[in-house]
Amino acid sequence: MPKKYAAKQNKKSFLTPEGLYKIKKELEELISVKRPRVQQRIQRAREFGDISENSEYDAALEEQAFIEGRISDLEEGVRGAQLIDTKQKAADFVVIGSTVKVQINDEIHSFTIVGSMEADPASNKISNESPVGKSLLGARLGETIDISVGPVKSTVKVLEFR
Amino acid sequence: MKKTNGIRSLKYLREFTTPLPNLSIEEKKVISKLIDAVRLLAPLYEKQMSVKGGGAGFYPIGLTKEEIEQASLTNPEILSPYTIVERKNGKLTTIPHHQKYKEDLLPISKLLKEAAGITSNKAFAKRLSLQADALLDGTYEVSDIYWLTMDPYKIQIVIGPLNRYDDKLFFRKATYEGWVGVVDEDATREALQFKDLFAVAERRNKGWDKIDIWDKLKLRVDNTLIYAGFGARSYFTAYNLPDDPSLIEKYGSEITFFGPAMEMKFETRHLPIFQQLFHPEFQRLYSRNDLKKADLRNIIIHELGHPLLRYKHAPERLKELFPVFDEIAASIIGIKNAGTLVLKDFISQKELEAILVMFICWALDWSEEGADSLNIQPFVTGNAIALNYFFESGALNEVGGISWPNFTKMFMALTELSQTIERILASGTYEEAEDFIKTYGDTYIFNRFNTRLSKFFKLAKVRQ
Repeated sequence: MPKKYAAKQNKKSFLTPEGLYKIKKELEELISVKRPRVQQRIQRAREFGDISENSEYDAALEEQAFIEGRISDLEEGVRGAQLIDTKQKAADFVVIGSTVKVQINDEIHSFTIVGSMEADPASNKISNESPVGKSLLGARLGETIDISVGPVKSTVKVLEFR
Repeated sequence: MKKTNGIRSLKYLREFTTPLPNLSIEEKKVISKLIDAVRLLAPLYEKQMSVKGGGAGFYPIGLTKEEIEQASLTNPEILSPYTIVERKNGKLTTIPHHQKYKEDLLPISKLLKEAAGITSNKAFAKRLSLQADALLDGTYEVSDIYWLTMDPYKIQIVIGPLNRYDDKLFFRKATYEGWVGVVDEDATREALQFKDLFAVAERRNKGWDKIDIWDKLKLRVDNTLIYAGFGARSYFTAYNLPDDPSLIEKYGSEITFFGPAMEMKFETRHLPIFQQLFHPEFQRLYSRNDLKKADLRNIIIHELGHPLLRYKHAPERLKELFPVFDEIAASIIGIKNAGTLVLKDFISQKELEAILVMFICWALDWSEEGADSLNIQPFVTGNAIALNYFFESGALNEVGGISWPNFTKMFMALTELSQTIERILASGTYEEAEDFIKTYGDTYIFNRFNTRLSKFFKLAKVRQ
């Protein structure tokens, strides 16, 4: 499933304004809605008695751990956010924020290269840290790049970008 | 009837006791009627299978393929999926399924109508009513069109003459098949992500005449409750319907994944094969969860491979050899696409390797199934092609029955094989297909694994 990368300390998160808005919105919902809800759930489960064999309690704790982990990741992301100016004049090579059309072997793919926090391959947003994203940064029109990840060997040709 | 692990099974009937806590009383009543309807389908399928002669009694004994084809020139109904061909006074005539099996179909149709009377979902009631009518008057197209265009509903029943694998002569005529399920929303959402990911790639047009139905493709993962017919015997894990290319082109198709069958296949077949087949050191590289996820993904990407390979007139051109190419091509094109997902960081390299490992287990599983039933020979031959290719390229090595794969060679072999097979599907002749099967389709390949697997296969048979 699309990976939401854990932001490391002091790590920059490349985000489009739209991406930053979405992350802030998700963070707000997690803090103001989901966190209190799971705390209530844990409280209710405790009231059922013996928590050593209480599956509802275990499930609630698991959900809480997920929510707290996500909050922590998003807070780091917002703190280290470096906005990508999508309106600036296009560079003559591929950068984070570029929308590219590439040929990967016998297929044509179009996608935007985004920061890892915003990546969602199913919506054509590919992380700058993914093998294809990484190899395209700095590439020029018409350039061909060989990518190899374990058994997958591919040739990627830049057909268009903006 | 045997009952093991929440499953009741007859030869042509499987029932899964999946807990479904979120259904209303009305929905449970509807489902109960539908399950009864599918239960009645198993003896009908058995009746179809009990007729001796080529193609499950679809054609009179002793007729050659050429004679049937010749006769179909003046009477096209002879090759209709929905008729039985009979000889009367020396002449070939046809009788539609719905007339031939009217007595068996009446109570099934009645149960569907009763369910239609209970449900308060009007669209689903109409769907049930049209299916009930189609069983008795052969208006399958009307029923199918409504199904493909209606809004998805949580309960699903598909029932009718659907399966062509029993027609070993032409891969044309259908036997009865049916299932009932309730949608599993989480699993459906996950499968839909793969559909979206496969959709983003635009394949370069090589001048082949292709039916592009991707935008009209629907899919769902069901908590399947029962299924009957051909697929029940082999634990089919998914179905992509309808078959009629003209309907598909206009209205699209729907893939249904049978969730409990997918899990059962992993637990009872694919995982034990993995444990028997690979070197213990190799096995330690993958957790049970890694393998299970990979096995389920394999099924999803296989089914998504099918609609990417709908070439015009391929079934007519390749005749009974079509399913050999269609089935194996779907698997390998699916895996090839999964390779691109590694580049995009949607799945990891290790996850792709797990998919390749489970593909080998899946391929070997068909060898045993095939020994039981000639009707799934296309799957057996197709997977033999892949295994022969792997051995020839050094992608798979085996000593004394214990195997080690070389993923780099395996992925290269799959890529090369996918190009050849797709070309045959797109524009190859019957003779080319036949030659390719002669070269790579030797099922003797399965014997290389017998040392390790024969014990497991015997045990599995005792358990069933």
